[in-house]
Amino acid sequence: MSSLSRRARLLVTVLAAILLAGFATGYALLGRERPAPAASAQVSGPALMVLTNGRLSTVAATDPGGPREVTEVACDRVYAAAATVACLEPVGALSATRLVVMDERLRERKTVPLTGFPNRLRVSASGRMVSWTLFLDGHSYATTGFATRSGVLDLRSGRLVNSLEDFAITRDGLPYRNVDVNYWGVTFTSDDNRFYATLSTGGHRYLVEGDLAARTVRTLRDNVECPSLSPDGTRIAYKSAVDGDPAKGWRLSVLDLASGRSTPTAETRSVDDQPAWLDGRTVAYALQSSDGTNDTWSVPADGTGAPHLLVPGANSPSPPRH
Amino acid sequence: MFRRRTVTTLSAAAIILAALSVPEVTANAATTTFTPVADTYVDNSATGTNYGTSAQLGIDNSPVKRMFLRFTVSGVSGTVSSVKLRVHTDNVSGAESGSGGSFRAMSNTTWSETGTTWNNQPAIDGATLGSIGAVTANAWYEIDVTSYVKGNGTYSIGVTSASTDGADFDSRESGGSTAPQLVVTTGTTTPPPTGDVLVGAGDIADSGSGDSATAALLDDIPGTVFTLGDNVYTNGTASEFANYYAPTWGRHKSRTRPVPGNHDYNTSGASGYYGYFGSSAGDPAKGYYSYNIGANWHVIVLNSNCSAVSCASGSAQVNWLRSDLAANPRPCTVAMWHHPRYTSGANHAPTTSVAPFVQALYDANADLILTGHNHQYERFAPINPSNQLDTARGIRHFVVGSGGAGHYGFGTILPNSEARNSDTFGVLKLTLGAGSYTWQFVPQAGKSYADSGTTNCH
Repeated sequence: MSSLSRRARLLVTVLAAILLAGFATGYALLGRERPAPAASAQVSGPALMVLTNGRLSTVAATDPGGPREVTEVACDRVYAAAATVACLEPVGALSATRLVVMDERLRERKTVPLTGFPNRLRVSASGRMVSWTLFLDGHSYATTGFATRSGVLDLRSGRLVNSLEDFAITRDGLPYRNVDVNYWGVTFTSDDNRFYATLSTGGHRYLVEGDLAARTVRTLRDNVECPSLSPDGTRIAYKSAVDGDPAKGWRLSVLDLASGRSTPTAETRSVDDQPAWLDGRTVAYALQSSDGTNDTWSVPADGTGAPHLLVPGANSPSPPRH
Repeated sequence: MFRRRTVTTLSAAAIILAALSVPEVTANAATTTFTPVADTYVDNSATGTNYGTSAQLGIDNSPVKRMFLRFTVSGVSGTVSSVKLRVHTDNVSGAESGSGGSFRAMSNTTWSETGTTWNNQPAIDGATLGSIGAVTANAWYEIDVTSYVKGNGTYSIGVTSASTDGADFDSRESGGSTAPQLVVTTGTTTPPPTGDVLVGAGDIADSGSGDSATAALLDDIPGTVFTLGDNVYTNGTASEFANYYAPTWGRHKSRTRPVPGNHDYNTSGASGYYGYFGSSAGDPAKGYYSYNIGANWHVIVLNSNCSAVSCASGSAQVNWLRSDLAANPRPCTVAMWHHPRYTSGANHAPTTSVAPFVQALYDANADLILTGHNHQYERFAPINPSNQLDTARGIRHFVVGSGGAGHYGFGTILPNSEARNSDTFGVLKLTLGAGSYTWQFVPQAGKSYADSGTTNCH
């Protein structure tokens, strides 16, 4: 089964035509390289990366509602940190998804073939670690009977964790095993070894803290989904199921790890996203309208203020990068 | 984030407009003003940049700037007697120009406001609607677009300039009072469409209440009922048909011609489905069949469960389809099955295995394709088998997975997707005219999402 993107298939077709025509040059030049976005005076300085109807785009951090650079790179989810841009490619009619890791010029550095529907994606602040979540069965966290898989790639060592489900679990202090285990929404700490994620088992959706080297996780708290660690490592923004029931939607909330105190943000609409910290005080997330339009919003992390439309017509926000 | 204008701008503008416009008044005349649902411009000096959120729209010939406006006209009844496009120049120095631009209709009505750039801009390919001469800053200008805007629907207008002195207009993000306007004046009321009715949806009956809500709609709509597969959840068993379908949509079983879906085939051979519907569902070994409605319409039901009944070119099903189409003398044809060839839904990607169906129907000049599978409503423009706009021979595709099963979200919106909704259960009502069809999405009680229109048969 081909996993080439439509663009790449077109390139291959063009290449074949060129070869047949006798101009057999430059094969190595025409791989899966993507064109770097044209330099532009419109988006300069710190930039936010988002998706605009599935196209990798950037907006100026100082004017996120202003002009945006729209590339031809197609992703279902994107995340960028430091010099690493990660993209989960759309599932095509004839192709599965892949993780594509690019550099800051959007040149492809590494790919990982994957199975399932792209859902969450995160890069550690250093740009070294990448984690993804895909739906294997079902497509919604609001239903029962879905299944997810989360994996991790260490770009420095090349080590690939296909599924966190192989890690040893400590639940409420005791070893735990269950075939119903699902993981989603990984977020990395600054040491590029420890991480937080959601572990679902037995009707609970736990916040777990994990250790990649030790291949272990331990439960910290119930009803925490899609955690996102603040830049200073002290707080976790997450979605909290209303009344503990995902069918009722989720309240975007922030957990203080030291005190264990959780604060709902001023966003009262149901947020089904893994939030991203724009800075130490603000989180960003996407909401979808009933016509399929996605908008990226931001809200203060401390429960004050009000939601602010950050990037119209965009989802999958990443923190500003220089 | 967006610039706001002062109240003095509004009153000055209103005075100019009053002097400029003499409304045509006819008996029962009504005027409705629409603001754009999308507007943006592109600039060849920044080819990858999108300006969809800008408060300003620019046209110029150096650098080349083109602007795009899209309006959705809805709720207008009666004969359209006059349609005026009004644009307002920006209240800044430099907005003025020796040319206010050349305005043309566009066939592409699905370009993205926040994704359109010089590199991927839609073609300005339709009739010339008019041009505006010299413009000053902070003033209204008007173009007669009656030749283009004929009634309810979505319309795109592209504007170019041959002048190297660019003009700047206010966009819909400018704050409201100076946003572009489409002023639609209607005369006498038109009668409702006449014809036989074909009504239904897919992805219907489960333990929830969505199926009851859509069945209640059918209670008030006469005509032939269609389904689009996944009639019951989760496994298409006889008991699911008895417990979920029979008490709801089953009230209309005697006038229903069904389509099988993948959940129906979770029971071997879809025996629950064929057992429940009997001869109305056709041969249980095939699941595909056709019938006629009135003198003008041919209805084809296909089986897109291709692992059970092959959908490949040269298969018995596709050979039957081509023969059935060739033997059909009626001017209008609608085909339906479960798995959509094109969908923007997040949960199920477009299905290529039904491409032989689409090609055969296109080759035979069919008019409509109805599918389900993604639990939402989506309507496409008339398209060719490669999802390219084709106003001459294109087939209008619908996904009507809104029959009652829990809603799905959307992913990347495909080109030519004209209408979408993911939070309303409802049915699609088709009124089959002598040489045209009128579609109407009928929402569940208490919901307001609407989508309707009329298209001529090929």
